[in-house]
Amino acid sequence: MTAYREVRVRTPLALKILPVLSIASFFFLWEFVVRSGIVPSTMLAAPSDVARLFVVKLTQADPDGALLQEHAWVSIQEAFTGYFLSLAVGIPLGLAMGWFVMAEGLARPVFEIIRPIPPVAWIPLTIFWFGIGLPGKVFIIFLGGLVPCVINAYVGVKMTNPTLIQMARTYGASDWQIFRQLCIPSALPMVFGALQIALACCWTNLVAAELLAADAGLGFLITMGRRLAMPEMVVLGMVMVGLTGAVIGVVIDCVEKRLLAGIRR
Amino acid sequence: MAREGETSQSKIEVRNLTKRYGELLVLDDINFDVAEGEFVAIVGPTGCGKTTFLNALSRLIPITQGHIRIDGEDADPKRHNISFVFQEPTCLPWRTVRDNVAYGMEVKGLPQAEINARLEKILELVGLTQCQNLYPNQISASMLQRIAVSRAFAVNPDLLLMDEPYGQLDVKLRFYLEDELLSLWQKLGSTVLFITHNIEEAVYVAQRILVLSNKPTKIKAEVKVDLPRPRDFRDPEFVRIRKHVTELIRWW
Ligand SMILES: Nc1ncnc2c1ncn2[C@@H]1O[C@H](COP(=O)(O)OP(=O)(O)OP(=O)(O)O)[C@@H](O)[C@H]1O
Ligand SMILES: [Mg+2]
Repeated sequence: MTAYREVRVRTPLALKILPVLSIASFFFLWEFVVRSGIVPSTMLAAPSDVARLFVVKLTQADPDGALLQEHAWVSIQEAFTGYFLSLAVGIPLGLAMGWFVMAEGLARPVFEIIRPIPPVAWIPLTIFWFGIGLPGKVFIIFLGGLVPCVINAYVGVKMTNPTLIQMARTYGASDWQIFRQLCIPSALPMVFGALQIALACCWTNLVAAELLAADAGLGFLITMGRRLAMPEMVVLGMVMVGLTGAVIGVVIDCVEKRLLAGIRR
Repeated sequence: MAREGETSQSKIEVRNLTKRYGELLVLDDINFDVAEGEFVAIVGPTGCGKTTFLNALSRLIPITQGHIRIDGEDADPKRHNISFVFQEPTCLPWRTVRDNVAYGMEVKGLPQAEINARLEKILELVGLTQCQNLYPNQISASMLQRIAVSRAFAVNPDLLLMDEPYGQLDVKLRFYLEDELLSLWQKLGSTVLFITHNIEEAVYVAQRILVLSNKPTKIKAEVKVDLPRPRDFRDPEFVRIRKHVTELIRWW
């Protein structure tokens, strides 16, 4: 292990300079295209306008009714509620489906039918059921996160080394003991993989849900930008979705590494 | 505990054991007895069904016909103390060496105090005390197999089944581990069925050798090895028995 780690691959100079160059020219070109009028400013906002609006929206609720950080906070709350629900339901369900014949037989067919339906398709129904408040969006996000949780946990259990299971059987281990002592630890790396994938799904579906049914949140900010014919607000919403999502991704990545390091050597 | 020589009462009875995979007849009407505390080696040509034989004995696979009795009762891993050392190492990567050795005892639901007492003894016997807190990926391949052997002995098995446990290891290490196996067996008095395709190994460890035929597999011969221990593989009597078993295998 350490022998491998000591071999450091040096980052070539080109890979240090080129990304900076590429980002700089991207923004420069974007600014230029809008300022020069090649693309009319009613269709796309210049980055400088977006940046200005960003600063303004930190202290001013108008015209959409809430501060930028309030929108972000609403979105984060919805996303994480749905995310944790999908983990709490999906992982145990997937683990059980991977080992217990009863669970697989009963849950698998229903799951296979629900799985191909994009969570966004549930939006009209959830508006009937929950209105446009938090519960409806949490439900959509939950559905989006559920699928990767179930699949990863299921596959993780199925990948348990069969010889280990035979070994446990010869000692007279019960199904439940094998599930707890062998299948769950074997599935852990796959389950941790699901944490990332499910979060990405949740975040994507959050924006979709907010675009259609919301009165606050980053997705709502984008919709309002369209209604008010303010392209800079649309772009600001998009950028915030990207940035917040990336930050959350980094945080989850750190947590995952910590947890895995504690469990596996 | 049973010692070598005290092999009187029949511990395991195998009667009319038959196994088919569909049309393929692998085990054909096998009968034999193993006495309490006996060390029996099983040799046979490749693919003759040695692994199938052990899997049937441990009830990992259903048998087509016949029965296997331990202490007069039908063999059942939930009731009897059966241990199996597989051809490949079977350590749980998320457990330390110590907890791996304890695994079988935990499954059997032994009290923690008893588990600890046995662990101290076994780890000391096989020289794993120093690395008991390491994880399997931090130790060498031969140690992995020693963990499996210790785990198997730790439950005081009625029957210990070993499927070519040292097949992958080099000669020098094998001699060392065979001696270790023998000393565990002598100290703990378990009944051992040891599969190998290495005839010298069989003659070195066993009190009795069962020679299997090609498929459909029967027991072709039974060779008693009545040599004093520690055995010397240059001893003329040792060499004679080894050649005799080799002849038996080459004979068909
Ligand atoms: N699950 C199975 N289904 C069908 N045939 C099988 C199955 N398992 C084993 N066999 C057949 O049974 C025969 C015996 O196999 P087995 O693995 O018991 O041999 P072996 O003596 O252990 O061989 P080796 O010395 O290579 O370990 C082989 O011909 C094999 O093809
Ligand atoms: Mg085999």
